[in-house]
Amino acid sequence: MDLKVHYYYWLLPKVSKQTLRIMKLIAIILFAACIQVSAKGYSQISLSETNAPLQKVFQKIQKQSGYDFVSNYETLRDAGNVTVNVRNVSLENALDACLKSKPLTYVIIGKTIVVQKKVKDYINTVNNAIALEPLPPLAIEIHGRVINKKGEPLQNASVIISGSKVGTTTDRDGYFTLSAPDNKNVELEISSVGYQTKKIKVTGQSEINVTLELEVTGLSDVVVVGYGTQKKSDLTGAITTIKSDDFTKGVNTSVDDLLSGKAAGVQVVQNSSEPGGGVSISIRGASSINAGTGPLFVIDGLPIDNSAAVSGSGTEVATRSPRNPLSSINPADIASIEVLKDASAAAIYGSRGANGVVIITTKKGRSGVMKVSYNGYAGMQNIAKKIDLLTPVQYQTVLNELIDEGAAPADSKVTSIANGGTDWQSQIFQSNAVVQSHNVSLTGGAGKSNYYMSFGYFDQDGIVKSSSFQRYSARINLQTHASDNFEIGLNLNTSYSINDYAPIGFGINGESGAIYTALNFDPSLPVRDSSGKYSLSSFLDMDNPLALINGINSLGNIYRTYGTIYGKYTILPGLSAKLNLGGDILNERKDSYTSSLTRHGAPQGGIASLLQGQKSNYLVEATLAYDKKFNQHQVNAVIGATTQRFITNNTNMGARQFPSDVTGTNNLGLGTQATYSLGSNKIANRLLSYLGRVNYQYLDKYLLTASFRIDGSSRFGVNNRFGYFPSLAAAWKINEENFMKNISGLSTLKLRGSWGQTGNQAIGDYAAITTFVGGATAILDDQPIPTTAPARLPNPDLKWETTEQTDIGLDFGFLNYRISGSMDYYNKKTFNMLLNLPVPTSTGFASKLSNVGSIRNTGWEFALNTRNIDNLFKWSSNIIISTMKNKVLSLGPIEQIVTGGAGQTSDIFLIKPGLPLFSFYGYKITGIWQKGDDYSSTSDKVQAGDIKYLNTNSDKTVNADDRVPLGSSFPKFTWSFGNTFRYNNFELNVFIEGNQGAKMLNNNLVDAYFPVQFRRNRFAEPYLNRWTEGNPSGKYPSFIHPTDQGGKLVNSYTVEDASYTRIKTVTLSYFFTPKNNFISKVSVYVTGENLLTFTNYVGYDPSVNPNGNVFQRIDFNAYPLARTFMAGVSIDF
Amino acid sequence: MKSIKLFLYIGIIGIGFTFEGCKKLLDEPVYSQLAPENFLTTQPGIESVLDAAFGEGYISGYDSHSSRDIENWCTDIEWETGGGENRAATLMINFTWDASVDWMYSVMWARPYRAIRNANTVLDNVDAASLTDAQKTGYKAEARFIRALSYYHLYTWFGPIPLRKSLTDSLELPRASDTEMQSFIESELLAVIPDLPAPGKEKNYGRPNKGAAMGLLCKFYLNTKQWQKCADVAKQITDMNVYKLYPDYENLFKVENEHNSEFILVDPQIAQGDGNNYINGAFPPSFAKDPISGLTMQSNWNNWGAQYRLYDAFYNSFEQGDKRKNLILTSYVNSGGATVSLLNADNIRSFKYWPDPNAISNDHGNDIAEVRYADILLSEAESLNELNGPTQEAIDLINQVRERAGLPDLMLGSFSSKESLRAHLLLERSWEFYTEAGIRREDQIRMGTFVSSAIARGHTNAKPTMVVFPIPQAAMDANPKLVQNDGY
Repeated sequence: MDLKVHYYYWLLPKVSKQTLRIMKLIAIILFAACIQVSAKGYSQISLSETNAPLQKVFQKIQKQSGYDFVSNYETLRDAGNVTVNVRNVSLENALDACLKSKPLTYVIIGKTIVVQKKVKDYINTVNNAIALEPLPPLAIEIHGRVINKKGEPLQNASVIISGSKVGTTTDRDGYFTLSAPDNKNVELEISSVGYQTKKIKVTGQSEINVTLELEVTGLSDVVVVGYGTQKKSDLTGAITTIKSDDFTKGVNTSVDDLLSGKAAGVQVVQNSSEPGGGVSISIRGASSINAGTGPLFVIDGLPIDNSAAVSGSGTEVATRSPRNPLSSINPADIASIEVLKDASAAAIYGSRGANGVVIITTKKGRSGVMKVSYNGYAGMQNIAKKIDLLTPVQYQTVLNELIDEGAAPADSKVTSIANGGTDWQSQIFQSNAVVQSHNVSLTGGAGKSNYYMSFGYFDQDGIVKSSSFQRYSARINLQTHASDNFEIGLNLNTSYSINDYAPIGFGINGESGAIYTALNFDPSLPVRDSSGKYSLSSFLDMDNPLALINGINSLGNIYRTYGTIYGKYTILPGLSAKLNLGGDILNERKDSYTSSLTRHGAPQGGIASLLQGQKSNYLVEATLAYDKKFNQHQVNAVIGATTQRFITNNTNMGARQFPSDVTGTNNLGLGTQATYSLGSNKIANRLLSYLGRVNYQYLDKYLLTASFRIDGSSRFGVNNRFGYFPSLAAAWKINEENFMKNISGLSTLKLRGSWGQTGNQAIGDYAAITTFVGGATAILDDQPIPTTAPARLPNPDLKWETTEQTDIGLDFGFLNYRISGSMDYYNKKTFNMLLNLPVPTSTGFASKLSNVGSIRNTGWEFALNTRNIDNLFKWSSNIIISTMKNKVLSLGPIEQIVTGGAGQTSDIFLIKPGLPLFSFYGYKITGIWQKGDDYSSTSDKVQAGDIKYLNTNSDKTVNADDRVPLGSSFPKFTWSFGNTFRYNNFELNVFIEGNQGAKMLNNNLVDAYFPVQFRRNRFAEPYLNRWTEGNPSGKYPSFIHPTDQGGKLVNSYTVEDASYTRIKTVTLSYFFTPKNNFISKVSVYVTGENLLTFTNYVGYDPSVNPNGNVFQRIDFNAYPLARTFMAGVSIDF
Repeated sequence: MKSIKLFLYIGIIGIGFTFEGCKKLLDEPVYSQLAPENFLTTQPGIESVLDAAFGEGYISGYDSHSSRDIENWCTDIEWETGGGENRAATLMINFTWDASVDWMYSVMWARPYRAIRNANTVLDNVDAASLTDAQKTGYKAEARFIRALSYYHLYTWFGPIPLRKSLTDSLELPRASDTEMQSFIESELLAVIPDLPAPGKEKNYGRPNKGAAMGLLCKFYLNTKQWQKCADVAKQITDMNVYKLYPDYENLFKVENEHNSEFILVDPQIAQGDGNNYINGAFPPSFAKDPISGLTMQSNWNNWGAQYRLYDAFYNSFEQGDKRKNLILTSYVNSGGATVSLLNADNIRSFKYWPDPNAISNDHGNDIAEVRYADILLSEAESLNELNGPTQEAIDLINQVRERAGLPDLMLGSFSSKESLRAHLLLERSWEFYTEAGIRREDQIRMGTFVSSAIARGHTNAKPTMVVFPIPQAAMDANPKLVQNDGY
């Protein structure tokens, strides 16, 4: 390291002193935030101020003299207050009196007074500058207003006369007044952070109204990185930022919804479209088999434990996908989301960085009078697509034909259809389910303090009856400068969520849930039988779908409060120390009751279970930050130490046999004592870490970042508790080079490269030690007796899974940023994988968590922003494309692992070196056996109309040896295409996204091909076009002997292509400013969500994955997708 | 600059100190799990782990249904259609099973090895625990028994397999030889018989006693064709004067009669979660009532998609008047009120495990007897026949069983040869033990009809090597020292 620094030092080119001086002056002028008011006339100065801020004193001087001041806010603030008492003195005398004891000096240039810190040769510099560029004489006054295209006034926009140092800033309402030399050939340069700088010729008029356009590049934006911030243009790593303005206007229940389709390389898959349902996110592929693959979420500096407090579902109540803990955060409070993708960005989070990091920053207070905003929306949701099942009449016809052809005994015939039959899907779906959201925020500040407060209410009914999600949330963010050197702040969020779960599980028989039964229940039956009870089929081991919906009540109550409090002390200019304390408490209680309306609840007199969980963690973090510019060198560094401890408590209890269903779970004591069950558990783990990072910039062209983290975790073996995670990155702003300067049309070009190592510790606690836990129940004296058994084969050498990633990226902008974007290539290799390594099973254990094997993920990411039309009518686009390639490189001593199961299907995935992780493993269907085929080629029991499976070897039977990989859940590429059209106050957003090449096991289709019971309903298409003698279909079998060949459930039919293109959202907005003093801005919009999906996938939704892992996609009883239409309004008061 | 340097030095030194000091922070306490050091040295600790060995070694609940199914679907008595388990069933029925059958791994391989692990945990730690010598002897005998039972199961299913006798055995063990395997099971059972309590004297119903060990030894000798030893042990069991045939075959398997003097070695089942699942598959579609017994469907019973069916040929083999046939359902009244005949479609049902009136969902409380006294009698008869050919002594033993079934005595004169009596024993055993666990497949294999009868049923994939199941693929994948059975 040392050597390298020296090396670079010697490479520094020599720069002349003169150049340095000019640069310095320019820097000073540019750096100065102008405090300037126009001249009004000449007069003698009188001041009588005691201990007043310099700024205030200068304002008085300005009023009396008409001279403008140019200075830096910090400079004046740091100089402290002044006591001055003068009467009718000259301007110079008054200024001298004010600055007498201050480390400040001033220069009068024309009618502008520049106040600056006393620097040795400052005067010379200024004089040189003056000599180089004499100022024109003064003449006229220009008034004007600066607004954005939404009509909002822009405060603190700077208005400078081109080629001079004369300028001012706009007031709160966007107004400015400026003195200009004359009214000819004057050009104003108007700029504001986040907006494109505009030049305007002032000829003849003195009233100027300027509308600034949003800066498209965002290069001057500040990006939040781990333990600090950076200018976007100075980034060396691969980081995607999503600002609140870019959030999709749709039903955004949770933070992760906001990420969907917005960041290249980030895959967001809904585990369930159920209100409050979980979401799986993966960044740049899958880098672990048994440890977690989700990214680390950091909210306002607090790394979040993103697991649910209650994961079980309760006795006899099938609910799925533990709720999304992030749903307790109100998306309306979020200012920006940063996705740290490469190792350079994520390595500062060490052992939790391997799957990428998502940094969420909430809105901060703004100084000034209180600003009140309201935004809200309401909408209607309807099912986007129903699965096409046999209608009651088709069901009767097809099943009876199958019976006639020998598929089932004659007593299974469908003899009648009661009242025209029942469409069970329609019975359990709710039309026009309401979703609404309301948020009120207050922000403002006085003196050295500011605040942001918000209250949010969100209420979503599901499109499946008896499912809903409600959230009440409140946030307060405070910031105050307790003294000049000491800043303290607080970010606090609290929320209460109520989640009504629909009973949807993985069961296939008596335990199956509402969706499965709706797809499989006998459609020839009425909803209720003649006695008024929910009808049941004696042919089916399955409850009535509506009995499940109405008879099973499962409700989660989730309380979550988290926040951070920090103090930041500036020791010296550029050096500050920060102490950050955080905490997070998540309390969840889940009540489930199966009433006597249900087939299982009735004979058991009601089944109640109550699950409670508490997850809490606390964070202590001390950092030291250093920021200094030496000539052309800029150094920015941070070091720190941090520890975080996580504690989880669980309690569960249950009872059955209640005298009445009325009390539900609210009086378990009424249940029969012999049926009581209980349990509890407590686990904890801790991280202890040390971190450091240095950013170095030379000539604002060459950027270098190095970071290091040491992480210790209680989860690992005593021998290997600490892991070391280094990273290095460099960037080169090519466009800043002289030889590039002449290339017209090039706005920016930056080459980035990074390398680093990150870790993964997302495994269970105590894997390194021997412990005894609850064992198999022994039955003694006809009673169940609890026992204890060894929990695992311990691995005291257990250590971190390491992911090494290299990233090469290019950021570019052309034609004044009309075309801009970035591309990245990454190569991510995970080794010492945390793998449940199969161990000889004669040990009584199946596996031992070990550091074995490796995986590689590679991919390209492209993001392109274009302004296609830029007139009165505007059209801009965002295009994102990411490719992904995953390959298992090694499993250590193991050749392969076959894993995965859902419903009646098992052994779904193959993990084998050379293949993508979790490749679907099954039988390839080559067609249908036809009459006249050569049946001597097989010894299997097949006849015409049966499925023909590929026999891969020379034996005459198709068995487990003939399984082949059938693709994987990794898409070849994912893409999104966002468009914004603007005309006057109207804006239209169209967001389209797609996924190409991902496979998914449609496990409901498995049930259609291999029905568990004959009298179940099935998917219509294969059955209506099935093979018969009269219709020798080459695609669909006869379904007469579906399991004669042994039920080859995972095959090239049931593993479907889940590629899709979806018009995700279309939003039309209208902005206006009402002509009153009460409301400053209004926008109204209408949005349609999930409007259209193009896919060959036959399930509810090709983008869903109820199995809970992005890369093990099994669609089984997925909660269907909703199409939503909604209207919203946002008002700033 | 000086102050910055100072600050940095202090920072570096400070961090260095905390690093050393904080390492201890990472020793997280374990709250809800037990540490072996202070747990396995106590009596409750040893007993609790021993109980876990019983919990796995006796096969209960859904697992007992799974292993029972696997063993019976490949025999000449029963088969299956429908349900989620049909995939496994089709493979077993058609003799196309391979190493991928998941129940063979999860239930029949992994579970007994967990019992062995738990038993070995007890055996490795019991001597160091604070226990009386009598306690130590008792626990050791129980642990060795449940370990021997587990090895017996593994051996009958897969042939010789890795023989793990202690936790300290090396990780990758090869398969034991057939001789090692047999002598281990035999010597272990012989060793524990003296130390186990007499039948009925065990601490709890469900713990092993002398009779259970002797009964298992008798079955082990029978299936390994050690005829003299088998006959001797059978004789000893009879001489204990504890066991006798339950007088009423039709009620023997009902949950209320499960504690009886005929069941010698029992896999206990209870309705609270670890029950007997057989009847769920035996109920025919839309079953409402059995017109003969009057049995009426209860709402707490499940009628599965899986349908457990018996071959007509088996039903037709019964002698006239055999009471044992009465537990087979041949027609029923369905929920529409129609009477449905199950005959002549290989669709008759065994109602041997008569539904438990207090069943909870899938789970019925009927215990599964692995060794019944009737089996001891017939095993002795078979051994005597194999040793000496048909004798009156052997015929008398068989007649004890036939008498209870309401059948006339056999006559010695009816059997001209060892082979003819053997053939009758195979039939007699099918009538006596149909749809019970762990009997028919072993009987057919022992008497050499397992493969031939499959081919006769049309399953041309059946091969002589299929008398043992393949070592499950997951077990093969995990241990490179394992060699797969021939033919797989």
